[in-house]
Amino acid sequence: MRYLGRKLIRAALLLFGVSVLCFLFTEMAPGSFFDEMRLNPQISPETIASLRSRYGLDQPLVVRYARWACSAVQADFGFSIAYNAPVAPLLWTRAKNTLLLNAVAMSTTWLVSVPLGIWMATRRRSAWDRAMDGVNSILISIPEIVIAVALLAIAVRWRVLPVGGMTSMDHEALSRWERVRDIASRMLLPVITLTLVESSIIVRHVRASFLEVLGAPFVQAGRGLGIGKMRLLFRHVLPAAANPIISLFGLSLAGLLSGSLLVEAICGWPGLGPLILDATLARDIYLVIGGIMLSTLFMLGGNLIADTLLLLCDPRIRIGAANES
Amino acid sequence: MNRKPAILIVALAALHLTLLFAGFLAPYDPTAQDRDLPYAPPTRLHFKDASGLHLRPFVYALKPAPDGYIEDDSQRFPVRLMTRGAQYKLLGLVSLNWHLFGVDEPGKITLLGTDEFGRDELSRVLYGGQISVAAGILATLIALTAGAVFGIMAGYYGWIVDESLMGATELFLCLPWLYFLLGFRAFLPLHLSSVRTFLLLTGVIGLIGWARPARLVRGIVLSVRTRDHVLAAKGFGASDFYVMRRHILPEVMSVLLTQAALLVPRYIAAEVTLSFFGLGVNEPTASWGNMLSVLQQYNVLVSYGWLSAPALALVITSVIYGFLADALLSRLEFQST
Amino acid sequence: MNVIVRLAGLVCLLAVTCFASGTAPEKPQPGEELFRADQVSGHYGGNLTIGGRAEPKTLNPVIATDAVSREITGRMMADLIEINRASQQTEPALAKSWKISPDGRTFTLQLRKGIRFSDGHAFDADDVVFSFAVYLDENVDSPQRDLLIIDGKPLTVTKVDQYTVRFQLPRPYAAAERLFDGLAMLPKHLLEKPYKEGKFVQSWSLSVSPTDVAGLGPFRLKQYVAGQRAVLERNPYYWKVDSKNERLPYLDEMTFLFVGSEDAQVMRFEAGETSIISRLSSENYNLLARERNRTHSQLVDMGPSLEYNFLVFNQNDLDGKKLDGIMTKQKWFRELKFRQAVSAAIDRDSIVRLVYGTRGAALWGNVGPGNKLWANNAIPHPQRSLEAARDLLKSAGFSWNQAGRLIDPSGTEVEFSIITSSSNAQRMKMATLLQDDLSRLGMQVHVVPLEFRALIDRVFQSFEYEAAIMGLGGGDADPNPEMNVWSSSGTSHLWHLHESEPATAWEREVDTLMQQQMVTLEYGKRKRLYDRVQELIAQQLPFIFLATPNVLAAADLRVGTFHPAILDPCTIWNAEELYIRTPVESAGVR
Repeated sequence: MRYLGRKLIRAALLLFGVSVLCFLFTEMAPGSFFDEMRLNPQISPETIASLRSRYGLDQPLVVRYARWACSAVQADFGFSIAYNAPVAPLLWTRAKNTLLLNAVAMSTTWLVSVPLGIWMATRRRSAWDRAMDGVNSILISIPEIVIAVALLAIAVRWRVLPVGGMTSMDHEALSRWERVRDIASRMLLPVITLTLVESSIIVRHVRASFLEVLGAPFVQAGRGLGIGKMRLLFRHVLPAAANPIISLFGLSLAGLLSGSLLVEAICGWPGLGPLILDATLARDIYLVIGGIMLSTLFMLGGNLIADTLLLLCDPRIRIGAANES
Repeated sequence: MNRKPAILIVALAALHLTLLFAGFLAPYDPTAQDRDLPYAPPTRLHFKDASGLHLRPFVYALKPAPDGYIEDDSQRFPVRLMTRGAQYKLLGLVSLNWHLFGVDEPGKITLLGTDEFGRDELSRVLYGGQISVAAGILATLIALTAGAVFGIMAGYYGWIVDESLMGATELFLCLPWLYFLLGFRAFLPLHLSSVRTFLLLTGVIGLIGWARPARLVRGIVLSVRTRDHVLAAKGFGASDFYVMRRHILPEVMSVLLTQAALLVPRYIAAEVTLSFFGLGVNEPTASWGNMLSVLQQYNVLVSYGWLSAPALALVITSVIYGFLADALLSRLEFQST
Repeated sequence: MNVIVRLAGLVCLLAVTCFASGTAPEKPQPGEELFRADQVSGHYGGNLTIGGRAEPKTLNPVIATDAVSREITGRMMADLIEINRASQQTEPALAKSWKISPDGRTFTLQLRKGIRFSDGHAFDADDVVFSFAVYLDENVDSPQRDLLIIDGKPLTVTKVDQYTVRFQLPRPYAAAERLFDGLAMLPKHLLEKPYKEGKFVQSWSLSVSPTDVAGLGPFRLKQYVAGQRAVLERNPYYWKVDSKNERLPYLDEMTFLFVGSEDAQVMRFEAGETSIISRLSSENYNLLARERNRTHSQLVDMGPSLEYNFLVFNQNDLDGKKLDGIMTKQKWFRELKFRQAVSAAIDRDSIVRLVYGTRGAALWGNVGPGNKLWANNAIPHPQRSLEAARDLLKSAGFSWNQAGRLIDPSGTEVEFSIITSSSNAQRMKMATLLQDDLSRLGMQVHVVPLEFRALIDRVFQSFEYEAAIMGLGGGDADPNPEMNVWSSSGTSHLWHLHESEPATAWEREVDTLMQQQMVTLEYGKRKRLYDRVQELIAQQLPFIFLATPNVLAAADLRVGTFHPAILDPCTIWNAEELYIRTPVESAGVR
């Protein structure tokens, strides 16, 4: 309990630190949202100045931070200059799309990687294992952006998948099942990309972790005692090998909102990533800060869940934590 | 397990030697524009013509055609070895103008095609590789040095130092670097020489990346500092610095080495992203990053596929380093069991 | 295969819309004074999908500044007088006629009678007065407010009777009726309440309910799906009819899909998901041209646009130690012969060929060949000549050192940097070409790509730059919008901002000429004044003009009355006239 309590305090401090640094960074970036209007010879600088002061952009940094912090605590994350609307609903609409995409991608990744990793570990040194390991190594090495663009090019060139957006135009007119299919078909490309990128890492870790445990004496003993392979695998080896895998799972959870920025941008999925990217370039500062805080919150949440899971699953940590406190 | 490292070392050496000798291997200067030949496809090498088979390959000149270019049979240029061409500095020291292969003027041999300004893509990939790979290696060195220093301090001293450093790493890991980079550019003088830009770029990437290695190192130090030989040394009155240098550092080295092999390709890929925001190497200097940024345009990707050569080079480099990392990692596991 | 699918879909859609409850146009009533578009004919039905560069920021026409928002609101709203994008001349819209007083200061507009908003509510002079009150209100801070302020004084609006409005300008203003284009008439019955409560700026945001929005444009809001699309449906009360007296628009629905970058747009267009794509780059245009038979599209090259790209040298008054380096270089930038030499060395042909794929035009002045009404064709177009450039530099005291580098009279090597926006691929390419060109003169030029807003900050605020490649123009063909660029106190007088008085004699002359043309009502006289302005600019080279792209657009073959124009919004300015051809009709079109 105290272990968790400490983690919570750490998380809160981190959120505070991130918010302060965010404000500092946004201050450092030159230009403001209204600069684009300067290029229009028909808008006077007085109008621009007036717009700036209306949104409080001419206030000193400390004042702005104080006001933002006060309203943030009351769950009001400020106003988006570009959209002329409160930040929170804007963020949440897009965040839902990202969560959907990443949840599906995470499920497919884990459903594919864990069995694959275990299977590879049990078939060590066979031709299959070697071949898959080779493919895996290559896949890990290819940068994410190359995979994303290559898949996109294939999808467009051979017109195999619809590209861009989350729903087609007549989405509302479709039946419930067809609506699901519609979203699914557009989700296929980013999900495949994300799965390819992430599963290679997870397969590797699962395999390594299982290999390590499989070589342990107690497993040999179990085999010698005649315990069945399946039972041995899932009842004895899995819990021992679980630690790093659970850490990875926690990392995946933590990246539920932030991990797919690149893929969303390239595939045109209307998620949180492209929103924050556009807002950054447009200097829509409260939207950016709100978005980053949301991502950080999720990340910390994911880490916290992972730590809790570890605590529950791995008795070594429980005892260690008990010793520490 | 014994043969693999040998092949790897050969591949690694081949990669780096190719890049070091880019000036010699590249037929043209990477910044030489040929405004009559933009987006030319890779030159085809011919061995057979009307008069039969030849041992020495030759190329034809290109004529503009409605949809690009077609070969002009009337002008053929045999490929020669050891030609004289544009000046370059081998290893930055010796001024030479020998090139491995080339064709006589006004012929052109562009084995990987040309870019939007008619510059030879192969030459640019080779010279660009110098910049990109060097940036990756240098950034890795910076990240690992900073990571090692902070990680050792955190693991060794523990308590407040540890807590604050780990808090700092968590902060670093979730910060919006995009904004920082945009803001950072504002502080810089308007123009930096290409050397300074390069150093700055690698510095930035490296400093952002110290967090993860620091955590890894800290983990190791935590377990090592309670070992017998360390306790013995401290018992004998060794200074902290001595203990860190003599006892802890060697344990950490192998992990650092493995991390290095993992990070180099990642930092090379980071250069691509930074080039997009203008913090990369500027025109006309070539780097894989700024060469790939043109592929953001769909029509280039589809119509001029040869311009994705830097991506292929990047993948090959990443794969070689990846296998190296694997080999080092398995050696590490082997050692620790 | 794709064609069959699209065809089937279209047929189904047509069938559905014929029998479904899509808003049918109201039959023209007696007592309605409608605008008759005599050349227009087509037939009802269909949904047109257009890709947009980004998501709109608001549906409020008074505060919308970005192009996408304005495109959408422009289809839902109408103005008193509109500029016909094809002819570039004004034509009556909600105002069926107007009278200008002899001194050019008073405009009396007669509104059409019997017109209704898209929700059926009647339109009259009260709405006009209300709309202008909102535009002129300082608390609303509409970017269009400055258009209505001439000489520091706002124009005044008075209601004469239910269908007559009088506008009083503080002084005569040439082509004043062009001001009315883009000033949407707002529904007083819906917006007066939020305006009085001070909540106008928040009204008609993206989350507005369609029943709260009403306008006089050809379409009205049907649905907005955040981050994805905006669907507009026919306005059954629209005030234009075609040659057969059938009420426009032809289309049942118009959908704006938020697609993103131009490449994403091309992909969707090729996949058949969008039917119109505008402002293509030449590479994408050529790509689509190659595929035109497969995708059944029509491609239009409208010729040079009104935009002008240029190289500008920093001639601002600088101070402080920080900008010391730039200040010493300014003595080169201020030397006319230096600028002339740079201009002579630039290979404009290559720019047009390599940057615009030959679909562009070289520029030597701020008004290009695309602006047929105002271009001064007597301006010299000197061909590229490195010889001439070197002679000019020599006569200005420059010379070359041993290494072939250009040195100024005091012996310093000529070296400077050009900043440009990293997100604009065309200008980046121009910068690289310029760098190479100027290296032939021995100048060391560095290309520094900057993120867009950082660029604006340096050019408008901190002046911490040496040279920049930028683009302006494109708004309207008339010279008046360019006042702020060429008059010495103007806010876009980029090369020398914040001049308290004209810094040179020629700038003083330009000031006088621009002021004169602004109050001259006769076209011929204005043209002569503006010609002289162009002559001076081309001689004195405050900007070194480079090139302008052609306006390129593509649409599905089935889109009828597709007449893209040079002025924005180039493809949907005549949205009410667009219709979907039947397969038979489009087979006959090639």
